[in-house]
Amino acid sequence: MAVSGRRGFSWRAIVNFRTVVALSCVLLMGWFTAAVALDRKEVFLPGESSVGHYLIEASCASCHEGFKPVSNDTCMRCHEAEMAEDVHGQKKFRDPRWAAELAKLEVLTCTTCHSEHIHMFDRGVHLQPDLCMTCHQGIIEGDLTSHDGFTPDGCWTAGCHNYHDHRSISTGFLRQNLDQPPMLPVQAMPTIEVETQLDEAPEPDLSKEFLGGAA
Amino acid sequence: MISFFSQLFSEAGFWQARRFSGRLFQRILALVMAVGLTLGLAVPPALADGVTQEQLDTITAQWEGSLHALNDVNCASCHQDSETKSFVAVPNQESCRTCHEQSVDTFLLGKHGIRTLEGESALTPALARLPMHEAAFEKSMSCNTCHDVHTVNTLQASTDSCMTCHNDTHTNNYFNSKHAELFEADRDLPRPSNASVSCATCHLPRHTIEIGGNEVVKVNHNNTYNLKPRDRMVADVCMNCHGVEYSYNSIFDDELVTANFDKPPHLELETFDLIRALEKRRSDNGDGE
Repeated sequence: MAVSGRRGFSWRAIVNFRTVVALSCVLLMGWFTAAVALDRKEVFLPGESSVGHYLIEASCASCHEGFKPVSNDTCMRCHEAEMAEDVHGQKKFRDPRWAAELAKLEVLTCTTCHSEHIHMFDRGVHLQPDLCMTCHQGIIEGDLTSHDGFTPDGCWTAGCHNYHDHRSISTGFLRQNLDQPPMLPVQAMPTIEVETQLDEAPEPDLSKEFLGGAA
Repeated sequence: MISFFSQLFSEAGFWQARRFSGRLFQRILALVMAVGLTLGLAVPPALADGVTQEQLDTITAQWEGSLHALNDVNCASCHQDSETKSFVAVPNQESCRTCHEQSVDTFLLGKHGIRTLEGESALTPALARLPMHEAAFEKSMSCNTCHDVHTVNTLQASTDSCMTCHNDTHTNNYFNSKHAELFEADRDLPRPSNASVSCATCHLPRHTIEIGGNEVVKVNHNNTYNLKPRDRMVADVCMNCHGVEYSYNSIFDDELVTANFDKPPHLELETFDLIRALEKRRSDNGDGE
């Protein structure tokens, strides 16, 4: 009431579109600065992180170098072991028979298929279930009698195929091991060889340091 | 999106509170100091002011019977900085890595170690999405969280250590399994034998790798490596003892996984019907093996 009684003052002069936009920008800037200053970088996450990465989701620099796209090198820094036997790797597409397939989908770039911060189908990093169809659609449409009419999103979600490493799931492997009994004749994990250099323990070389605290 | 906006408002609110209320800032500072002081007092004497003679005697006796002692790994090997010769009360994974490079490097790539590798605070069970025991929430993951570094008895690390934090049905059903029965036979050994099945047998499995041209068996401490896709665990672990069909029918049966394999699988994967049909076609066509 007091405000409206004052002459020559109008709220509309202040609260117009321009000030709202300017104020929003200032607030947003303040919010981002606060998030960085308080080390609460998770506010920048655009969506739920995958089960494999959520523990380091606030460590942006683990995967992102500024605003550049995530590179294969970044992924391989941790996932080298998983990719050691990649059947859809560089070697395959150097072969002229398959080289042209790369034009359909740039599968040598991890992020072509794997997306983070967006939930699709969970397997470590999120993955679109029917990606195989880009090249292998014929398989479910008559090229392979046994797979006729299979759903386009089942290849790997059903657990039958492993895109990168199919050593233990390929047709050859399953044929070779078919009809094995539930328990194999020899049941043993590898044995760890342990060696010792001395017959008995030497004299302990520290003692008072532990009693007196840091020396 | 909801969490995104709630984050937005909580951040903005906190920022304004810090900026505009000096008194609140003072209170927060006082609280931080009080918490810091309490933590300082609560630190066990082993970390702050050294151990008692009695504790030291116990630890020395444990060490004397250990593989460390019999390989001439003495107190100073871990508790003294190799360059400055200064005393190190609590050595970290870098100290272990001096000798156990493969173990530490693989540990750092799994969920247990990845935060440490990326320069974040070490993993605590409180941060996990899986159910964990509340009493263990603040345990910080490093080598000696699971390993008794003075006895070097890895039996404890292979199962008991897991149980102190993990509190999901798969973990808690372990003792109903045949695997656990086999493990009980190893109870008095310093290391699990190659015939028993502990948590580590499947989740931190022994693998054969090449080091310096020699094939050696090491423990893969990357606990995430063989979880997905599941066929990785089948070949790496299950098929050391079980046939391929039994393994796949077990590991793709979610109920059986939850029950921790307390009975044989009843799942019959269609994959094997397809393979059998293929075999039949091949032999009918006369090109069978």
